[in-house]
Order: sequence, then C-alpha cells, then structure tokens
Amino acid sequence: MIELRNVSKLFGDREAVRALTMTVPAGEIFGLLGHNGAGKSTAIGMMLGQVWPSEGEVRVCGFDVTHQRQRALEKVGAIFETPVFYDYLSGWRNLEIFSHYTAPTSRERLLEVIEWVGLTGRETSKVKTYSHGMRARLALAQALLPRPNLLILDEPGDGLDPEGIHEMRQTILRLRAEMGLTILLSSHLLSEVEQLCTRIAVMNQGRKVFEGPMTAIRQSHNLALLRVNDFSAAVKLLREKALVVDERDGKFVALAPEAKTEQVVRCLVQNDFAVHEITPQEQDLEAFYLSLMKDNR
Amino acid sequence: MMLWFQLRNELWKLFGKQRTYIGSSMFFLAQSIGILIFQFGQGPYRQLVADIRQLGVDPEHFVTNLTVASFLLVPIVYFLLPLYVSLVGGDLVAKEAEDGTLRMILCRPISRLRLLALKWLAGAVFSLVLVISLGIFSALVASAFFPSGGLFVVLPLDQIVGTFEGAAAWERFAIVHFFMTFEAVTLMSLAFMFSCFNVKPAAATILAISVFFISMILHDMPYFRDMREWFMVHHLYVWTHFFRPHIPWWRVGESLSILAGYNLTFIIIGCAAFQRRDIKS
Repeated sequence: MIELRNVSKLFGDREAVRALTMTVPAGEIFGLLGHNGAGKSTAIGMMLGQVWPSEGEVRVCGFDVTHQRQRALEKVGAIFETPVFYDYLSGWRNLEIFSHYTAPTSRERLLEVIEWVGLTGRETSKVKTYSHGMRARLALAQALLPRPNLLILDEPGDGLDPEGIHEMRQTILRLRAEMGLTILLSSHLLSEVEQLCTRIAVMNQGRKVFEGPMTAIRQSHNLALLRVNDFSAAVKLLREKALVVDERDGKFVALAPEAKTEQVVRCLVQNDFAVHEITPQEQDLEAFYLSLMKDNR
Repeated sequence: MMLWFQLRNELWKLFGKQRTYIGSSMFFLAQSIGILIFQFGQGPYRQLVADIRQLGVDPEHFVTNLTVASFLLVPIVYFLLPLYVSLVGGDLVAKEAEDGTLRMILCRPISRLRLLALKWLAGAVFSLVLVISLGIFSALVASAFFPSGGLFVVLPLDQIVGTFEGAAAWERFAIVHFFMTFEAVTLMSLAFMFSCFNVKPAAATILAISVFFISMILHDMPYFRDMREWFMVHHLYVWTHFFRPHIPWWRVGESLSILAGYNLTFIIIGCAAFQRRDIKS
C-alpha cells in the first residue's frame, strides 16, 4: 500500500530522513515509532506529497507520489496530531470543504460518516464550540469521506485524555474490522502501538533501525521466569551448561538462542534443584524500543 | 462543476471569518465620518464650495452626493484600499499554512496549482465585492445628507478636473469603481505572491504594502516625473482616467495590459514558490 525506496530528505544541511526503505502491506495496522525529530512526520509528509523527497521514490496505492500525487491520494485519508479546522464554520461546512478537494460528496454520505463517528446532532454547531474529542471525531470524519483504502494517522492520541485514547483505540480496531482499511499509525504511545499494530518500523535520527511484525518483537528475546530453591546456584550451573546467557532481577534468565525450557528443567532436576516454575516471557514493546534506542545511540 | 464547488468553498472560508470584514468596516467608518464632517463641520464644506467656485462652476449644482462621495473616495482608495486588500491577499495562503489547515487540504488529491488558482479567484471576487460595496455605501450615505446632481472632481496630482451632469455623473462614478477593482486585484495579487512563500501572513501583508508605498513615493517625487510610467502605482490609478472629460482609452488599455502583466508575474512567482515548498507542521 505504501512503499518508500531509499528515500532521503535534506532541510538545508540537516538530513531529516536518510535512505529510508519501508513497506506498509495492505491490511496491516502499521506503527511508525521514533522520538521527536526522528523523521516520522517528514516521512509521512513525503507519503502525502507535502514534503518533496531529496532522493528516492515514494509510492502510495501503486502511484508515485511525486509525479502522480492526485492518483496516489485518491483513496487516502489522513489525520494529524492536532486536528485543525475552520473554527468559525460549522462541522458540516468543514466536511463539505475538505471533501470537495477530493470529489463531490453527497449529503447522504456526509450524514453516514457523521453518524459513524458519533457527531450526529452537533454537525451544525461551529467547530469552535467542539471539545478536543469532538474535533478528533470530525478529523476522522473528514478522513473517511472519500472512502479511503489507506488511513494515515500522525500522532492521533496527542492531547487526548485516557477515555479519548481508549475511544481512539476502539475506533482504529473498528475501522480495520468494518472497513478493512490499511492503517499507518505514527505514535509516541508505545502501549497503543503494542495493542493495535501488527507490524512496526522504528526510526532514529532519520534512519530506520527496525522493521518487522509485532510477533517477532514479542519473541525476540528468550527470557523466562525461573523459580527454584537457589536461583544463583541454578544460574551458575545453567551458564556452565551454556543453556543460559544472562540473568535479571534475581528471577529471570535469558536462555541461549537454541536452548529450550524443557532442557533447562531437565538439567536442573538432574542436579537436585527444586524447580517450582519456569515460564517463557514475552518482551514488551517498551523494553524492545528502549534497547533499540540504546543500541543505536 | 467541481471548480464551482471548490471556489464556493474558498468564498465560504474567506467571507466566513471576521478578519475579512476589518477592512470593509474601516472603509465604511471612514466614509461615514468624512460625510458627517462635510455636512456638519463648516470648514470642509466652505472649502469645497470655494474650490468649485474658483474653477468657475456653480457650487449649488455641484455640491452633491456624488461629489462628496468622490472627494472622500480618493484618499481612501490611495491609502486604505492597498492596506485592506493586502491584508486579505497576504492571508490567503500564509494564514492557512500558519493555522495548519493547509496541511489538511494537501492530504487531498488536489494539485497545488489548482488550489492556488482557487484562492486567487476568491481573492479577486473579494476585491471586486469590496470596491463595489464601497461605492454603493458611499453613494447611499452621501445621498442621505446631500442632494443629487452633478459630479465635480479635482485630482491635482493627476491634473484632472472634471464636471459631469445627470446620468453621465452616475455613469462615471460607477465606471471609476469598476476600474478600481483592477487596482485592488493587482495589490491583492502582490500580497498573494508573498503569501505563497514560507512567511507569516503579517509579513506577506507588510511586504506588499511596502512595495506599494515605495512605488508610490518614488512615483510622486518631482525628480522622477519623467519616469512615472515605470512605476506600478502609475498604472494602478487607471481609474482616475475616467474622471477626465475625455477618456484616454489608449492609456487605459496600456495600463490595463501592464496590470495584467503584473498580475500574471505575481501569480507565476507565487505558484513557483509554492510548488517548491515543503508543507510541514
């Protein structure tokens, strides 16, 4: 759905994005992670034809954004961190204005989308009277009007309260389930990305430092909770047998790449340890992200 | 059809915000105050009568609604019109970029050139509406205090003295306003051009006004008299020709062609700058 091939962007002497190659497959909820200034927004700007790449090719929905921008964006909706509208006009009028930049939109379609996002009854009020949450819904409505296949969400959770974040999460899941949209989600909220995304890319200082499915991250380390009668002695033995490479917090062991938990249990039992529990642990995104940032510092 | 919808949207945006009406309000206020001073302050009225008499014209016949409206019109058009059309022209692109709505628009499959064309057209419609409403309003307010009759105009800088009677007076008053639109549109285009660059709306407005005033100052300097036709303002004042007893059509045509050239240049430069720009939050 989105393809970036060796894309770079220079702002003066500063390289905001460096040789970025990335693919967002159709049907995925794809997370784009990175700290402030990592190049996420610039990358999104290039996907939407708002920022011209200095090098490389950006393709959206099969079309080159630089040369065929209109065709590339026909079926794309986007929402930015702070939804901005013409505050002095009504929500309805704002939707008409934005939708007409794509194609004429019927009154029925406007009503349908307004109902879908839950703004029915407030569409004729001026946007300046809307709460942050209502603005977020209006932003979603304007993005959905052209019946997009791809939705780009740039920091959509910024400024939302916990209830708003929960609502946003449910909405994204609904969008995928009901409309089958491909979603690119750029966010600082690691827990949201972890709960929503099927695949992620991590950027640091303009470079992509990771791209892969969430399942790979969860299983990317071989950590296990180990409860035995003597943890230190057990770890010492397991290290000698090359079954464990590290230990953490007096209760976790990092298994060697080829080691299995049953091998660990067998080794410990044969050496008269009382094994109460051994449970493989999944790595969370935060730990993965932080280790990635540490490695790429 | 699509073009109409998009232009209508631009007009909604432009005429929906209070900022757009600052200029019009000040115009109407200035005209109203001026007309009231003419009516109730004895000094300006006596001066007008004296000026008319000095030119051998009957003051009774020419101290009229159109004469008073035209006397007030000239300074307003010289000074306030450039200010307010620049304010709107400078906002057209730069304000949307500053507010972030431009980024929302450019998520859509609309070309940047088409977007600019729509914005320029909306600015041109605004300029036309502003000038026409200015004329209608001044004529209406002046009619409340002064009788109908002839039109007497004197523009010393342009060495114009004109007297018109009956339908001809109204005709000239209307034509002058129509041709003032070209001045308004050109200044709007100048501000629009600056607005297309990566600048704040206020900067675009100030740059446009500065260019206008520099051009006006140089144009009016006695030492540059022989070079007056080289300055933009000389052609902006194309409407003054319609206060002459005999309209110099070839000069009108020349000025309109030059203004068309200015407009085209401003639009091309603005489009080129905007097309190259990166739109970021």
